Amino acid sequence: MNTRRRHGSRSTEQGVYLGPSQTQVYPPASSPPVYQPQPPPPPPPPLAIIDDTMSCRDRTQEFLSACKSLQGRQNGVQINKPTLTAIKQRSDFTLMAKRIGKDLSNTFAKLEKLTILAKRKSLFDDKAIEIEELTYIIKQDINSLNKQIAQLQEFVKARGNQNGRHLQTHSNTIVVSLQSKLASMSNDFKSVLEVRTENLKQQRSRREHFSQLPVSGSPLHANNFGNSVLMQDESRRSGDVSINMDSKVSQQLQLIDEQDSYIQSRADTMQNIESTIVELGSIFQQLAHMVKEQEETVQRIDANVEDAQLNVEAAHSEILKYFQSVTSNRWLMVKIFFILIIFFIVFVVFLA
Amino acid sequence: MMAASIREKQTAALKRMLNFNSPLMKNNAAEPVWKVLIYDRFGQDIISPLLAVKELRDMGITLHLLLHSDRDAIPDVPAIYFVMPTEENIDRICQDLRSQLYESYYLNFISAISRSKLEDIASAALGANAVTQITKVFDQYLNFITLEDDMFVLCNQNKELISYHAINKPDITDTDMETIMDTIVDSLFCFLVTLGAVPILRCPRGNAAEMVAVKLDKKLRENLRDARNSLFTSDTMGTGQFSFQRPVLVLLDRNLDLATPLHHTWTYQALVHDVLDFHLNRVTMEESTGPENSPAGARPKKKNKKNYDLTAADRFWQKHKGSPFPEVAESVQQELDTYRAQEDEVKRLKSIMGLEGEDEGAISMLSDNTAKLTSAVSSLPELLEKKRLIDLHTNVATAVLEHIKTRKLDVYFEYEEKLMSKSTLDKSLLDMISDPDAGTPEDKMRLFLIYYITSQQPPSEVDMEQYRKALADAGCNLSPLNYIRQWKAFAKMAAAPANYGGSGAKAMGLFSRVMNTGSQFVMEGVKNLVLKQHNLPVTRILDNLMEMKSNPETDDYRYFDPKMLRGSESSVPRNKNPFQEAIIFVVGGGNYIEYQNLVDYVKGKPGKHVLYGCSELFNASQFLKQLSQLGQK
Repeated sequence: MNTRRRHGSRSTEQGVYLGPSQTQVYPPASSPPVYQPQPPPPPPPPLAIIDDTMSCRDRTQEFLSACKSLQGRQNGVQINKPTLTAIKQRSDFTLMAKRIGKDLSNTFAKLEKLTILAKRKSLFDDKAIEIEELTYIIKQDINSLNKQIAQLQEFVKARGNQNGRHLQTHSNTIVVSLQSKLASMSNDFKSVLEVRTENLKQQRSRREHFSQLPVSGSPLHANNFGNSVLMQDESRRSGDVSINMDSKVSQQLQLIDEQDSYIQSRADTMQNIESTIVELGSIFQQLAHMVKEQEETVQRIDANVEDAQLNVEAAHSEILKYFQSVTSNRWLMVKIFFILIIFFIVFVVFLA
Repeated sequence: MMAASIREKQTAALKRMLNFNSPLMKNNAAEPVWKVLIYDRFGQDIISPLLAVKELRDMGITLHLLLHSDRDAIPDVPAIYFVMPTEENIDRICQDLRSQLYESYYLNFISAISRSKLEDIASAALGANAVTQITKVFDQYLNFITLEDDMFVLCNQNKELISYHAINKPDITDTDMETIMDTIVDSLFCFLVTLGAVPILRCPRGNAAEMVAVKLDKKLRENLRDARNSLFTSDTMGTGQFSFQRPVLVLLDRNLDLATPLHHTWTYQALVHDVLDFHLNRVTMEESTGPENSPAGARPKKKNKKNYDLTAADRFWQKHKGSPFPEVAESVQQELDTYRAQEDEVKRLKSIMGLEGEDEGAISMLSDNTAKLTSAVSSLPELLEKKRLIDLHTNVATAVLEHIKTRKLDVYFEYEEKLMSKSTLDKSLLDMISDPDAGTPEDKMRLFLIYYITSQQPPSEVDMEQYRKALADAGCNLSPLNYIRQWKAFAKMAAAPANYGGSGAKAMGLFSRVMNTGSQFVMEGVKNLVLKQHNLPVTRILDNLMEMKSNPETDDYRYFDPKMLRGSESSVPRNKNPFQEAIIFVVGGGNYIEYQNLVDYVKGKPGKHVLYGCSELFNASQFLKQLSQLGQK
């Protein structure tokens, strides 16, 4: 399992993904994003401290050389034993879990991208289509991951008790950890969508705000803003402004149409996002009760040992008690026996 | 600011190990790798105060098992071993290799493994044809247990080996002593490696601490000389402050101050350690499960053991572990009140929601409330966690209070403080000892020992007889006294260990505040004692050495600088600058009283940092037991 893949430089502190974009999900039609307002480079992560205090010593080489010299000494008694065990085939379960893990991390990358896009506040550089597309993809991903994990769980259950106890816990833990990862991801996703909704709301209010200004100010200014798409709401409502500018009426009308569709699309987007949030909610609930199954947040590793010790102690005291009761019973038996004998003697001596 | 506390450093080292010894990526997008953690008792003690199971899970650990437990094979998962390089551990690892338990093996040894043992594993690996499966072999140098940000102990498993008793028993052989010293030095060396600093060593002459210092100096020198393999390369490249400012490591011997470990205390953490079973940051309390008996009557009342972890994440604990107990009781009450208020707030919100829901008109209001509700819901886990902590501290503090009341510990504390500061006593010692209501025999013995240790001249034979009789009548085991008498006779040369600083506590009258009726802490009759800052001997010595003050007590302390080429025998320090960082290490056992005293001392000195370490951590009754063992011989 050494084939772990480390993705490039990436920092989650700001949810910023700086590495190469994962373009396989990205429609080529939408132009590659140009990051004009490049976010400031993330501050050097606190890992710096961790990295330069290498308080341990690697002795792998020493070990290997020891092996080699030992091997040389043993001199080919069993050198060419086929190394069949080294390349053991992985079980289906592991492969499945690995695949899900990989998918999860890919989805995370997409989510990071979406976060960047959604957090952008700019009015003009709003990549609505991209965001929508990404949202859709991620939604699909989460859904399919959810299904896959459920499948994995089924698999574990089906394989059930034919495995060792430890293997069983191991696989269960993997399932649970995948679930919790997915849960945290959908949580992130949800919050991103909320941010997006908030942004959309803000944009709308801003637009209204700006488009009102020229009307109340001077109609002349409105001319300059005529081309601005922002004005259309307003111009529609207070018709007299556009009537005054008869030269532009036709153009304006055209714009109104355009604008209508634009607003329509916006409303759709909103609805879309809302429905997504609702869907996510249901996924959440599903996950919540699964994750709840294990409560180990505050446990320490020595807890089990102490439990075992406690049980042993309890067992010991129980045994002691049993022993006592047995001995007292013995005493009782002796007494009864004694009485019987006395009676026997009485019978024999006096009645016989 | 110090670069990182020792706790952070050890945690980071552990995490790196769990990440297959490659630097951490703080990135939840990384592909998870699942692995199994195998440790022995030593490893368990090191990990358990630092990483909870949850954190291990986050690191991809699916199973954590003891090395010597019965383990099933999991053929397709890598295993990380974190064990001491002992004979039986190595055997067990070889056995694992032979039975092909795991896919690959990452062997991490808590302290350095010897070449011959490495070869043992190598031959077993060859025999099992598993050389390729052993992916990494590492020496971790983590053989110490960090309990606080600035406190560590050496070990827990075989602490009898390096206890005060072991060091001071009269019939000790040279080889035994050698083993003890080697064990201590090895752990200390690990600590310094993890800290990443080569300190300047200071120690008093003519006791166990000096032996440790000499050995440690030698070990550090050997390591530094071999520049290629040196473990201290990083500090020259500058890990913050250490590059130009080296810490001082003060090695002290327990014999320097025997009174403090016997002292009754008044701060929260030390009290918990004194009267409850407080072990590796975990309190174990027995609570009987109420009066209800099962109908059959056959099963006895089950003793219920409750464990509470007092962790660094516990804010209340962090804030109050050094506070005097009455203050803690009051704060618990306050916390409880604020928690109740918050809970009421949530409940109120719920009722409002119920009302508003029927009112069709106020949609905007509703949406506003929805936001409020969302925030309330998201704050619920936090609230639950808070409740858990409050419950924890309520239980612990109640248990402590119980002890204080039944044993009259407040009276003892006040009396002992007076003894140590040589102020006038309002009650004769004999009265205290013969008072049947106050304290256990152990408490009385502790009180008398403190009196005996701190008194300038020993009491006359006649008085002594009287005291002995009173103590025996009170049911005390007199053997600790025998040892202390020997020790005092022997330690005559220590002229003034008795100077314990100004008066310690003053009573603030009876705890007059009328607690509300629901309060769990009826402090009636318990004196509200307030601690006054005073320095214990350990703190005073540290102060002298850090500030380079001249003092007859510390002037002849030996001075070692492992970075100097030739060892010098002088006790004259080369550099005259005051130190900013210091590590105090007590050979022969330490306690929370001294730790707390040091923490309080550092609080008054901005920019300074002090780490406290000890070879073992004992409370007074454990110490008394060791003393009586010594006295029996």
